[in-house]
Amino acid sequence: MLAAWGIASLVFLVSRVLPVSPEQVALIEAEDLSRAVGPASAVQLAASQQAIRQRLGLAAPVFYITRIPGSTNDWQWNGLHNQYHDWLSQVLHGNLGKSYLDGQPVTTLLAHALAYSVPLAGSAAVLATTLALVLALFLASASGGGGRTLVQASLAALQVIPLFLLALTLLLLLANPEMLNLMPESSRSPAPNQLAAIGRWAGRAALPILSLVLAVLPTLTLPLAASLRHELNAAYATTARAKGLPIGRVLRRHLLPNALLPLFTTLTDLLPTLVAGTVVVEVAFSLPGSGRLLAEAAAAHDYPIVVAGVLLLAGVRLLCLIAADMLYFMADPRLRPTT
Amino acid sequence: MRYHWLVSSLTLLISACSTASPEQAQVAAPIHIRWSTDPIALDPLAFPNQNAVEAAALLHLSLLQNDYQTDSFTACLAEQLPTVQFVGDSVTRLEYHLRPAAKWDDGRPVLATDVDFTLKLMQCPGLPNEMSRTQFSFIRQVLPDPVDPRHFTLVCRGQAVEMINASGDFPILPEAALDAQHTLRALPLAVLQDWPAAKVPLPPVAALVRRYQSADIARTPGNLPGCGPYRLVVWEHNRHVLFSRKATWWADSLHAAPFVLQARPQLLDYLIMPEDAAATIALRRHELDVYPHMSARSFQQLQTSESVRQEFAFYTEPSYDVVVVGFNTSRATLRNKLTRQALSRLLDPAGLLAATQLGQGSLTVGLLPPTNPFYNDSLAALTYAPSQAQALLLKAGWQRQPDGNWQQPGSKEPLALALRYRADDATFATIALQFRAAAAKLGIIVTLVPTEANVLSSALKSGDFDICVRTLKGSPFGLNFSVYFHSKAIGTSNFSRFNQYATDHLLEAIEVESNRLRKRHLLRNFQERIRDEVPLVPLFFLSNRLVTNKQLRHVVTSGLKPGYAVQALMWAQTDSLASGPTP
Repeated sequence: MLAAWGIASLVFLVSRVLPVSPEQVALIEAEDLSRAVGPASAVQLAASQQAIRQRLGLAAPVFYITRIPGSTNDWQWNGLHNQYHDWLSQVLHGNLGKSYLDGQPVTTLLAHALAYSVPLAGSAAVLATTLALVLALFLASASGGGGRTLVQASLAALQVIPLFLLALTLLLLLANPEMLNLMPESSRSPAPNQLAAIGRWAGRAALPILSLVLAVLPTLTLPLAASLRHELNAAYATTARAKGLPIGRVLRRHLLPNALLPLFTTLTDLLPTLVAGTVVVEVAFSLPGSGRLLAEAAAAHDYPIVVAGVLLLAGVRLLCLIAADMLYFMADPRLRPTT
Repeated sequence: MRYHWLVSSLTLLISACSTASPEQAQVAAPIHIRWSTDPIALDPLAFPNQNAVEAAALLHLSLLQNDYQTDSFTACLAEQLPTVQFVGDSVTRLEYHLRPAAKWDDGRPVLATDVDFTLKLMQCPGLPNEMSRTQFSFIRQVLPDPVDPRHFTLVCRGQAVEMINASGDFPILPEAALDAQHTLRALPLAVLQDWPAAKVPLPPVAALVRRYQSADIARTPGNLPGCGPYRLVVWEHNRHVLFSRKATWWADSLHAAPFVLQARPQLLDYLIMPEDAAATIALRRHELDVYPHMSARSFQQLQTSESVRQEFAFYTEPSYDVVVVGFNTSRATLRNKLTRQALSRLLDPAGLLAATQLGQGSLTVGLLPPTNPFYNDSLAALTYAPSQAQALLLKAGWQRQPDGNWQQPGSKEPLALALRYRADDATFATIALQFRAAAAKLGIIVTLVPTEANVLSSALKSGDFDICVRTLKGSPFGLNFSVYFHSKAIGTSNFSRFNQYATDHLLEAIEVESNRLRKRHLLRNFQERIRDEVPLVPLFFLSNRLVTNKQLRHVVTSGLKPGYAVQALMWAQTDSLASGPTP
């Protein structure tokens, strides 16, 4: 938690010293609109910037101590009336602030976006893990041959394809009237029942999930297959096979529990990959998820959302690490802490 | 055949049970339109992006509005364009009459007091109205007519022809919805405008701001109903925004409604699709019916398919946006106009138009499009001429060194330039690469600095560049080039930091000139001056490319954003029903 607070604080403070501030971004956008009124003069622009800073709470000092303007070494104490103190107080009360762009509470925006992203990333993680187990067992059991080579080559190819290209290729191949048009038409009318709603969601989410699964599959499968093959050469595996156990059973019963340990670490590291993946997939498939929300907030310098996103990711990462530790303890009793 | 009757009966039964015939379904079907970004906020005081402006035009009406048929401002809530009276040399009075039929949804008439209230609301501190506050601060007073509540005069500071359009280009908001007690009426507009930022607002102003904030109009615009033809039905952030036509709208009762007061589509569904390729596929899947601002490449690719041509209609319209290469005239190396002229000869506008826009667009000699009556057709189009560039560099005093570089006598610094452009735009990158390659052949060092859009805008304002590539947004309404070349605009929109007394004087004369012949003479003179001084090089005007479902009728395209008149669109079936059976 200390790390999460540290990272979020760092993002908060760095965002305040960037060369382009949120009020400048707002005014840049306003200048590009097709309206009869022309651009503002320098004096008007400065007045507008100051008014926006006042409204967004950016006019107060950034931190408890700040450098005196115009001086290089002199610092001043600002007391508790500073942006960082206000932000920290709000966060401790469960308030992540409001978006600079539309004034909406950040928690509301994040909750709406997560409602799209969590099922997407969660389904992709479950499917990718299951598929990785199946493929790794196949790669470990197959003694050479065309099938193994094909799977390995396909996984290697998938690993080098950028996700954006992969998602667009799937879209062009599987949702295109000139190729295969498998994706169902979008419908915005309310579903008649829960089952229909899930079916409709699954139909529309199939390609985004497939993109994410294919993106992370090589990362999960190849190390697990290598680990299984390594275990296959161990003495206990040779003994099991000498006793007449079929190779499939040896792999599942005896080798997999030992080979799984590195997979837990990989799964923990999967989170950043999935988060990065959801940004790409949500843009490519026009989904209003959290990845897109954070990417757009970063581009628009909407820092309350960016900082909240950092806090969220840090928290989830922490939970993943705890979950990985628990899985370690369950898979290998020797790792359990002794009292 | 013995079961034929059964099949027929079942078919009839199914037909009877179906909710609507295909024709009826099309009549009620929404028109799906592509937006690349969410409108973010539907607050009539703040427009975070162009989509928010489009949405506001559906919900609210202004005194004057764009007529996309003619690309001009026409009367909307106003009965006609204002009568203009210049007072002295610094005040303009604009006299407006509101349409007697104009009403809010609750049946109240739209009155001069609503206009006065809107202008005052724009000046209230604490609301997201900072840009409106400065943009409309030239309107200092609203003089109501004590006899006619729909008649009023705007007293404006300054004198410029562009002021006429600007004075009516803001959504009028209902006073009764936010200030039923009329607490702001006694407060003069100028007092609010001049209120010091540090001073606590007056109690009625603070109360109004609280009411506005609690209404959360940015997300629930229904809390501030406008007198526009549509209402918001659904808004799923970053997914889609659905507008529905009001069943009864005051302009329906007009005998001959002008184009800006027509609203044909029943449902408008804006789908937010950030990725161009995904939007193109959505169009092919008929999930989109209108795709504005399509890239040149996708537009051309789609046109090659016979099946696509049968299903969709393709339109191109010259826009008012021009791609330019700008020079920072405050830099020592670029202060001499001969150097700038030399560098301009290294650009190949025709080749770049072909490479980046596939030829869709129009070459230009200045910032006016070739279709403009004031376009200076006596100027020759700029062409790639490296030998001329070399000669001009020598004339400017530059000397070629043995290592191939150029230096000024007495200086050790070679002619080296940093070229900034927006990193996410392939057109700008192509122009930058062409210029660098041409410059390298001549021994000029050009460093490319692709920059994030917001950082670029800030760098241009502060003058942190030598050369830049960018688009200048134009419009047919005004010919106010002061924003780009007047010395007063240095640090804001005069990014080339061009500072010349004679040009300032010429720009001021253009601003106030209302005689067409004299204006033509001044503008042609201005274009010649810009060609000679070269603070920037206009390369070409971009085209608006629009693709629509062929079943849509009354497609009115425009060079102005969004590139078409959404309120004119109509499904073919609806159109035929409306026009009745053909004899």
